[in-house]
Amino acid sequence: MKKVSLLALGAGFLASLAITPEPVLAQDSTLEIVKNRGILRCQVGTPAPGFYSLSDDGKWSGFDVENCRAVSAAIFGDPDKIEYQSVTSAVRFTAMANGESDVLSRTTTWTLFRDTQLGLDFTTVNFYDGQGFMVTNDSGVTSALELAGATVCVLTGTTTELNLTDYSRTNSLDINPVVFEDSNVRDSTFFSGGCDAITNDKSSLASTRAKAPDQSIFTILPQTISKEPLGPVVRQNDSQWNDIVMWSLFAMINAEEMGINSGNVDEMKASSTNPEIKRMLGVEGDLNKGLGLEPEWAYNIIKTVGNYAENYEEFMGPKTVMNIPRAGSVNDLWTKGGLMYSPPFR
Amino acid sequence: MTDATQSDTAFRPKPSLPPPANTVGVVGWLRKNLFGGPIDTILTLLGVYLLYLIVQFAVEYGIINAVWTADTYRECLDINLGEGACWAGIGAWFNSMMYGRYPDEEQWRVNLGGIILLLWLIPFWLPKVTGKIQVGMSAVLTFPFLAASMFIGGDTGIFLHVMASIALTLFVAVWLHVAACYVLGRSLPELLISITGFTDKDDRLHKYVLLGAFAVGFVIALIYHMSWDLVEVQTTIWGGLFLTLVISGIGIASALPNGILLALGRRSKMPVIRVFCTSFIELFRSVPLITILFMAVTMMPLFLPVEFNPPKLAMVIVAVCIFAAAYMAETVRGGLQAVNKGQYEAAQSMGLSFWKMMALIVMPQALKLMIPNIVGSFMGLMKDTTLVSIIGLYDILLMGKAAGQNPSWLGFHTEPLLFTASIFFVLCFAMSKYSQHLERTIGGGYGRR
Repeated sequence: MKKVSLLALGAGFLASLAITPEPVLAQDSTLEIVKNRGILRCQVGTPAPGFYSLSDDGKWSGFDVENCRAVSAAIFGDPDKIEYQSVTSAVRFTAMANGESDVLSRTTTWTLFRDTQLGLDFTTVNFYDGQGFMVTNDSGVTSALELAGATVCVLTGTTTELNLTDYSRTNSLDINPVVFEDSNVRDSTFFSGGCDAITNDKSSLASTRAKAPDQSIFTILPQTISKEPLGPVVRQNDSQWNDIVMWSLFAMINAEEMGINSGNVDEMKASSTNPEIKRMLGVEGDLNKGLGLEPEWAYNIIKTVGNYAENYEEFMGPKTVMNIPRAGSVNDLWTKGGLMYSPPFR
Repeated sequence: MTDATQSDTAFRPKPSLPPPANTVGVVGWLRKNLFGGPIDTILTLLGVYLLYLIVQFAVEYGIINAVWTADTYRECLDINLGEGACWAGIGAWFNSMMYGRYPDEEQWRVNLGGIILLLWLIPFWLPKVTGKIQVGMSAVLTFPFLAASMFIGGDTGIFLHVMASIALTLFVAVWLHVAACYVLGRSLPELLISITGFTDKDDRLHKYVLLGAFAVGFVIALIYHMSWDLVEVQTTIWGGLFLTLVISGIGIASALPNGILLALGRRSKMPVIRVFCTSFIELFRSVPLITILFMAVTMMPLFLPVEFNPPKLAMVIVAVCIFAAAYMAETVRGGLQAVNKGQYEAAQSMGLSFWKMMALIVMPQALKLMIPNIVGSFMGLMKDTTLVSIIGLYDILLMGKAAGQNPSWLGFHTEPLLFTASIFFVLCFAMSKYSQHLERTIGGGYGRR
């Protein structure tokens, strides 16, 4: 039968496409590709307040966008040589695997599975998030353990839903989840009293609260029921590129620890006597060699993007709609009881 | 014999009484249509009440409680506590929803491109203009290149220079033709031939005259086009309604010709062509559009060499064109099958070739029958293009969603959806009205009944 053999041929062709192993990328390192292209391709998500959002004049900004700007500043000395790619979370890892994006910086939780089985490497953590609950002040609830029998609004098909049922079973709370497909509908249901509590990552709860007509009547409960370490991701097997992205973040964290910010970095560079600051800002030593960058790479990051604290204040701090307090939280410096810790610059 | 005497004696019926007052005029209409009986009356009252509720809500939400000037969504909330619309946000995000991230100072290029296209299509509605098919073909075949060179800008390369110059020449020619038709009542080719004094000469010479005139126009256009110095705007930052129209416009323009070819191929007696067309149609018709888009945008690059990296938008447009062609092919095939077999046989007995038979006898009849279906497909396609938001192209829908995620505009999500819906309604309703107009004017015996 001719038709059958034609079909078989087609099927064989498709199968051979499907089992093509690892994507074949050019032999050049990512750094070389980016330098030649003259522009960094940075993947963010569809807008999420605080982390990456689009302004009405078409500019991207946010806490995760600053990671990309830092990498761009480290490579080019200019934080804005970036082509932003914004795709839905369904295709985020594919867009990395097929070489479309150079770095992924979008509220992506570091898990063992993702780190080992997707051909990706997580660099380091720039924000420690975790799932929590938000209730109205009127409810009198002050701890998640008092939520027995409560109805809780949650997005369906997410790990959030799974975490909620796990937490409910472990603590025998008998929580009734009310599931939603769309976060806007979930939020308006919660505001109009459709559920006793709402659960999500705490940073998202902060943005949900910011939408409410009256923000002061909601409280985010202290309990954190899941670990969501978020940070930038690169393709596996390019350790120089991994180092560049990771140390760009460390430069911002270390700058905060050393007391360097975008305002005083010139002064520090000119007059500081601290050997670590001198090494970091490229005055002494050749720490840049291994990264394949200019000696002033870290100086450029701090000068144009700022240190970690400056970025946090700009996008997450009390002056923003997010209003996530940092003092005493896990996102504070290790010297202040938090988890932000940069390995030494030496 | 006088009329008067006859009329005196003849039977004269009394003039008929006027109809009862309650069966004519407004009252009569109301009684007949709205209050015909107890059930009708109840339904009418219910309907009026529902209408009242809807209108009342719409007026309160959209006008009375609406906020027209504010810098953030919070300001709107402070004024109306979320009871009314925040139209101020539409004002702030209008440019984004129209052009996406296209730079403000370059948006005139998009507007100008749109105006050129409109001007190019206006002759369709002018009754005195002859050669409408040629006008339409010139627009469909060359305008995309002119638009590409205008919208992308930068160093366009020689191919685009040439194609855009052809487009410019043809555009000017179309309007010279319109002027000639209206002022002198002759078509542009006739005018050119008579001016150059070749009217009495051989037909072949006429062709050379026209080609010569075109060549002169082309050279002028090319020199003019080479002098353009537009900033490059990458397709990755195109967005908003502009992007929706680019994708659906190219999809719609290519769907009908490709669909006709595929439909003819599927009915062909040549096995290779038939098998190819059938499998093409069946393959792409049985996969969801989103799958084709995913394949085109995220999977294709895996199989291509890294150096060969076509822009995402180009892949999306190709995917949409393929999908639209597969659907259109089946619509066209339906139309072809509705044409009586006698028409084919009559055409063949006249000695017409296959293409002449199709072009002169079958297609004109089939296309008339297909107008409602074709326009239905076009409207479906236009709305389907909103799926590109899933693969990260900021069309009008995704841009509207992005607006509500901006820290200053958190919670601003109903108004962009309403705005987007009304834009789609206007576009689709206009298409629908135009198709009804077409059915009436060219429908002939098959017209709207």
